[in-house]
Parts: sequence; C-alpha cells; structure tokens
Amino acid sequence: MIENIDANKKFQKELNSGTAALVLLSLLDQAKEPMYGYQIAKLMENADGMIPIMKLGAFYPVLRSLETSGLLASHVDPSVSGPPRRYYRITDNGRATLGSWVHLWNRTRDFVDNILRGRTDG
Amino acid sequence: MDKQIDEYLGRLKNELKGCDRSLIQDALADAREHLSTALDNALKKAPGLKQQEVWQSVVDKFGTAGEVASAYREAEVRLGSPLTSIWPSRPKPVLSRFLGPLADARAWGAFIYALLSFLTGLVYCGWAIVGGLFSLLALFFIFGIPLAGLFLFSLKGIALVEGRVVEALLAVRMPRKPLFVSPDLKWTAKIKALFFAAQTWKALVYFILQFPIGVLYLFVIGGLFVISLAFIASPVLELGFHLPLELLGAEAFTPAWLLPLVCLAGLVLLPLTLHLAKWAGTLHGRYAKAMLVKD
Repeated sequence: MIENIDANKKFQKELNSGTAALVLLSLLDQAKEPMYGYQIAKLMENADGMIPIMKLGAFYPVLRSLETSGLLASHVDPSVSGPPRRYYRITDNGRATLGSWVHLWNRTRDFVDNILRGRTDG
Repeated sequence: MDKQIDEYLGRLKNELKGCDRSLIQDALADAREHLSTALDNALKKAPGLKQQEVWQSVVDKFGTAGEVASAYREAEVRLGSPLTSIWPSRPKPVLSRFLGPLADARAWGAFIYALLSFLTGLVYCGWAIVGGLFSLLALFFIFGIPLAGLFLFSLKGIALVEGRVVEALLAVRMPRKPLFVSPDLKWTAKIKALFFAAQTWKALVYFILQFPIGVLYLFVIGGLFVISLAFIASPVLELGFHLPLELLGAEAFTPAWLLPLVCLAGLVLLPLTLHLAKWAGTLHGRYAKAMLVKD
C-alpha cells in the first residue's frame, strides 16, 4: 500500500511538472494586472482540486523559469507590511506560447481520455 | 511569527545546500514573501485561531522545506542556465567550433558586456570613490552616519543591478531580489548590519576595480574587434573608396596582392576575438558571483 502511495505521488509530480507552467501562464493571461505570488496562489486555491495536488511553494520556481524563458516579465515593488513583492505579467511571447500549449494540452487530454474511455467501456 | 519564518528559511537553506548561491537567495526570498503574506492574511481572517495552527495550515499549503527545495532543484535542472541552448550538444567539427562564437548568443553577450563595462565601470567606480570619500568625510559631522548608511544601501542596490546585467549578458545565475531586511529593524541596526557584512566591502572593491577592468576589456576586446572588421573591409575600403588602412596612427595603402591575406586575417581574428570575449565573460561571471552574491 505504501508503495502504491509513493507511485501515486510520483505520478502526480510528473503530471504537475508539465501542467504547472500551463496553469500559471493561463492564470496570468486572464489577469487584468500584474500579480504577485500569493495572489496567484489564492486564485489556485479557488480553482477546484488544485491545492491537494500541488504545493504552492512549487509554483514559485516555475514562475521564475517562465520569466527567464521570456514568457513572463516581472518587477519588484516594496510592500508596506513585509518583504518586497515580485509582480508577474504575461509577455506577448508568453501569450503566443500559451496558445500553442493549450492546443497541445487539448490534444493530449483527448488522447488520454479516449484511451481511458476504451478501458472503462471495454 | 517572524521566528517561525526564519526557522523555516533556515531549513530551506539547509535543504538547498550545494545549489547555486543565487538560486538559494531567490528561493529564500520567494518563501519569505509568500509565508509572511499568507500568515498575515490568515491571522487577519481568523483572529481567534492559535498562531501555531495558522502557521501549520500555511506550511501545509506551501509545502515543507524539503518539498520546496526539491521543486527549485527540478526547475533549475529543467531550465538550465539562461541563454543555454535547450538542444543536446553534439561533438562539432573543428571549423564549426572555431566559427561557433559568430552564432553564439553567449559570445555576443560577453562581447557586449565587455564594451558596456567601460561605461558601467566608470559610473560604479566614480560612485564608489566619490560617494565613499564623501561619506567618510561626513562622518565627522552629525549627519554623517545616515549619509554613510545611504551610501552603503546604494552599494547593495547597484550590486543587484550589476547582477542583472551579468545574468543577462554573461548567462551566470545571479540573485533577482535583494536579501530581505526586516522592516521592524531600526535604521541604525540596518546600517550596522550592512557595515559589518563582508558582502558590502566586497561589492565596493568590485565597483572600484570595474573601471580598470572595463578599460582593459574595451581596449583589448573592442580593439581586436575593430581591427578584425577593418581587415575584413580593407579590400573594399582601399580599392573601392581609396581609404588607407590606419593602424596606430600610421596610414598606409596595402599592396594589392596582400589585400586578400589581410581580409583573411580579419576573418580569422573576428571569431578569435569572440572566443576571447566569451572566455573573459565566463571568468568575469565567476568573479562577479564571488564578489556580489552572499555566501
């Protein structure tokens, strides 16, 4: 049973590593203004089922990676109550990339769904 | 609550032992930003709850230090360093390796850095010497300590800017955020901490040396680049526009039979100059990291 839990965790982690960037790009694409890490995390908390599958701390390195790749841009603003905050926004390159990633995601999802449907139907 | 955050950050730093220093600094800054905001909001929302319970729920959502550290390690491995090609490298033929820098973003980045460092070095060195001397003199007066403090803070800010330039042009991972200093600390304590930090003085030395280094880069790398371009263009300039080749103040027309050789020498010198720029950039990146990033 323990082995099973470990296998589930590993599988979930593999899924997350591919989807985190897509989720973050999509959230920032929908945002009206630049958002800092905690605001993005709150949006994810509101998205059904996000929290149990991924720790919020794991999104921060993905944000930084996306920024280094030029898909996001950021600036730091001081905060009255605590440490300075890094605000992220999606770039034009990020929007274009998101478009192709959504297409790939839909294809992958349909493919997996079809296979799984066959398994349950059969 | 600050104590709990500091303890968490201590654990995170421990988990990231062996990673790049800039990555550790960024991870700590991200964690501090999230945890302090999340705690603050959670306590405001449910003032009746025990602090320990609130802290536990915040950490449950954010992840343990081990989980967060492993996320940073994985992201760094997946992305690699900036400007690094995502394609696996294959052994290349000698000619391709020799000409490689002409199409290598890192070589051109290092070349631009070498030219730029003359200007940035002038500004950094000027500020370090003039600001430093002025702060030293001001210490004899009542307003001296805040002025000296401002000067030390400015060094921290310039170090961050230089770090961004180094990362963008030399592809060396540098911190993207300044180290956090609690807003609750008195300004005298902040100045004291800066004064006793080895990093402050290392940054000061870096800024002073940046000018002579920038001059050296400009003369050697910039000079070789200009010479190589002049050699390449010499057949067109001399035969087409009747412009003589000028070297070290002396003007002379090259014999026609020598022009193809001069042009060829320029074509060899150009990639060599970019090789030199890339090599100097790699060394400079390591030096900048040692001097500007906290251990």
